[in-house]
Amino acid sequence: MNRSESGEKGSGVSRRRFIETTGAAGVALTLAGCGGGGGGGGIQITADQEYADASGAVTDALYDAGLSEDIDVTINAGDFESGQRRSSFISALDAGRSDPDIFMMDSGWTIPFIVRDQLVNLSDELSQDTLDFVQSDYLSSSVQTASDPDSGDLYGLPLFPDYPVMHYRKDLVEEAGYDPEGENWSTEPMSWQEFAEIAADVWDQSGVEYGFTTQAAEYLGLACCTFSETMTSWGGSYFGDHSNLFGPVGDRPITVNEQPVHDTIRMMRSFVNGPDANNTLSGYPKITNTDIFEFTEEDARGPFTGGDAVFMRNWPYAIASTLGADDSPITQETYGTMPLPYGVEEGQGNYEGTGGPAHALGGWHLTINPNSDNVSDAASVLESFANEDVMLTILEEVGNLPPVPSVTANANPDNVGPIGPHLETLAVAGENTVARPVTAVWPDQEAVVAEEVHAAYLGEKSPQGAMSDLEGRLNNFEQG
Amino acid sequence: MTPDTSEQNTRLWARPLNWLETKGDAVFAYVLLAPAFLLLAVVAFYPLVRTFEFSLREDAIRSADPFGAFVGLDNYEALLTGEALLPQQFLDLTFETPILQQALFVTLAFAILSVLFETLIGFGQALIIDKEFYGRRWVRVAIIIPYAIPIVIQGMIFYLMFSPRVGFATEFMQSLGLFGSNPLSSTTESFFIVLVADVWKTSAFMALLILAGLQSIDRQLYDVARVTGASPWQRFKYITLPLIAPALLVAMLFRTMDAMRIYGLIDSTAGCQTVPSMSCLVVTAFNESRRWATASAVAFLTAVTIGVIVLVYLIGLRDSESGMT
Repeated sequence: MNRSESGEKGSGVSRRRFIETTGAAGVALTLAGCGGGGGGGGIQITADQEYADASGAVTDALYDAGLSEDIDVTINAGDFESGQRRSSFISALDAGRSDPDIFMMDSGWTIPFIVRDQLVNLSDELSQDTLDFVQSDYLSSSVQTASDPDSGDLYGLPLFPDYPVMHYRKDLVEEAGYDPEGENWSTEPMSWQEFAEIAADVWDQSGVEYGFTTQAAEYLGLACCTFSETMTSWGGSYFGDHSNLFGPVGDRPITVNEQPVHDTIRMMRSFVNGPDANNTLSGYPKITNTDIFEFTEEDARGPFTGGDAVFMRNWPYAIASTLGADDSPITQETYGTMPLPYGVEEGQGNYEGTGGPAHALGGWHLTINPNSDNVSDAASVLESFANEDVMLTILEEVGNLPPVPSVTANANPDNVGPIGPHLETLAVAGENTVARPVTAVWPDQEAVVAEEVHAAYLGEKSPQGAMSDLEGRLNNFEQG
Repeated sequence: MTPDTSEQNTRLWARPLNWLETKGDAVFAYVLLAPAFLLLAVVAFYPLVRTFEFSLREDAIRSADPFGAFVGLDNYEALLTGEALLPQQFLDLTFETPILQQALFVTLAFAILSVLFETLIGFGQALIIDKEFYGRRWVRVAIIIPYAIPIVIQGMIFYLMFSPRVGFATEFMQSLGLFGSNPLSSTTESFFIVLVADVWKTSAFMALLILAGLQSIDRQLYDVARVTGASPWQRFKYITLPLIAPALLVAMLFRTMDAMRIYGLIDSTAGCQTVPSMSCLVVTAFNESRRWATASAVAFLTAVTIGVIVLVYLIGLRDSESGMT
């Protein structure tokens, strides 16, 4: 006797009906899930927000440079923070995604993608004329970070080189009694001690929130750039002579636990805590506060653009961003820039390439996704980027320097937008750069550099203790 | 489709359906569960096995294929001895790596403390909203609101509270002498910020599950206890606690599993470099170091750790249920 015969109340749905209904629903959902997808046509570029904002002008310049109007170019904004951008590109490439077709990659982490054979070899895709133009006219140090370290083949087209400079409020400095133009601040680097004394004085007289902002958070920009360049200016180095920056991994000295590197940390601690605190450098006054230990680029720019800081170490993009901000009290006339200060005179450093003013060589490249459905169209887009007028458009619209020094030198400062008055300073910075030690192990090494340096900045470890630990940890990655 | 084909299809389905109708409830239940088990095998068991398989390979950071030669349990040995080539360590019993920089201890400490506080606070909240009082409906809403906030938004709230220039909380905590000037850069202080953020959000979850348990208790038991002169504490100890124990353990089990997988809240507040949980270590090893084999080993160890904890709970749950019968 079954339940219905016994009169027992069931759910009202028979087993047969239930299985049929749920089975049909399951099949329908599965089929629905298989639908959709598919990308749009044209070439997708993932780049900085500034490029997305100026995409009309940039794409017009590309078409004027000879790009076929049949190729539709879309510029999308990627993550501003370099490490986040790298992570998203790693995911896209490892997953074999076909978009974006073109990546805008940091020169600090392009080589690991090249050695893993994850990018299109441009030596096979670009015309010989373009390749010759890149090799002969582009900034060679930028080209080096876009090429295979072994074969020399080109995998990235340098979009722009980047050198940080010291940005400052000319009005506040002049009101405090200094004469930046008379003393040639724009082209004559000063020492860190002189800089700190001036910054402390102007900060005191102006009463703004910060005398100096920079990037001292625990992130990769600390390792590649702000700490690296300051340490270099003091005569220190990660791996001895700068000829060792790109290797050989495991067969080069590790030189972080030395006096110039300790002094770099002590100076930064003086800037934050004053010269009387522990592990600081005598004669270097307090010019900022502990906020900088959590600042990256935009955090440092915020107070400067808002008129709350006298000096700021940052990349040139900050000029256009600040002057383009509606609520900034800074104008073209009151915006000053100068090369970064130095710790010891050039040539007095412990290693070849150290001492004197040093500016981290940044910059970004355009690379092609090998999984793109339109590799040849993407290559055509890159061909058009290798054009002087496009470079000048980018200089004017986005504020990024041309990758070809002669284009920068020949540019009319009056015609290149807000960055025009600062080209002389940028030329000095470009002559005094320090490259990032990019190897396959650098992504791990930069994380521990940032961690140990940051711990020393915060005073959680002494400079010697932190650098001794760093020496051991860097060595593990070298030998690993 | 011709009528013949349609009839054939109907016959095709008819046979198993007829067979099913002749079977008992247990067989019917297994048939219904089969798709779920199949799905579980595909989305859970297979990835776990593959993850273990990947973890036995060498990291190949210089090649397009991220997996190198077979190295057996070397990756596990490196992780458990603090010698893994990662910016943060999984476990370092020499304690050269500070304890809150070791992913296993960070995760366990977070799980234990967060579940403890969430249970206590959730219990208190549940006891309050179980009572009849004026405005109870609004109190319930107020308690549940934090749970409705997305994790990343919640993380940003706490990030902004302690962020330089924007936040107000750093100065307040400094004035109490509890925090330094850069709490989001300090491992210990950031750990407590993440902990408080999680407790604030998730106590409501505990409260809801415990409340369900409380409301299933027969009120007559309390009447009997009162008549026999039981004090409030005795009523709680001998009626409330034993009867809600299964619900409480299930709620704690869910929360512990969640806490052991903590990632999003950390990523949106202090960052994985400051508070490295086990899931953080997987993401860092995978995305930044591109050490996929090591990332797989950490992921597998995370799964094993969670599995062991779940087992302990299940034993506790079985004991509590058998204790009731």
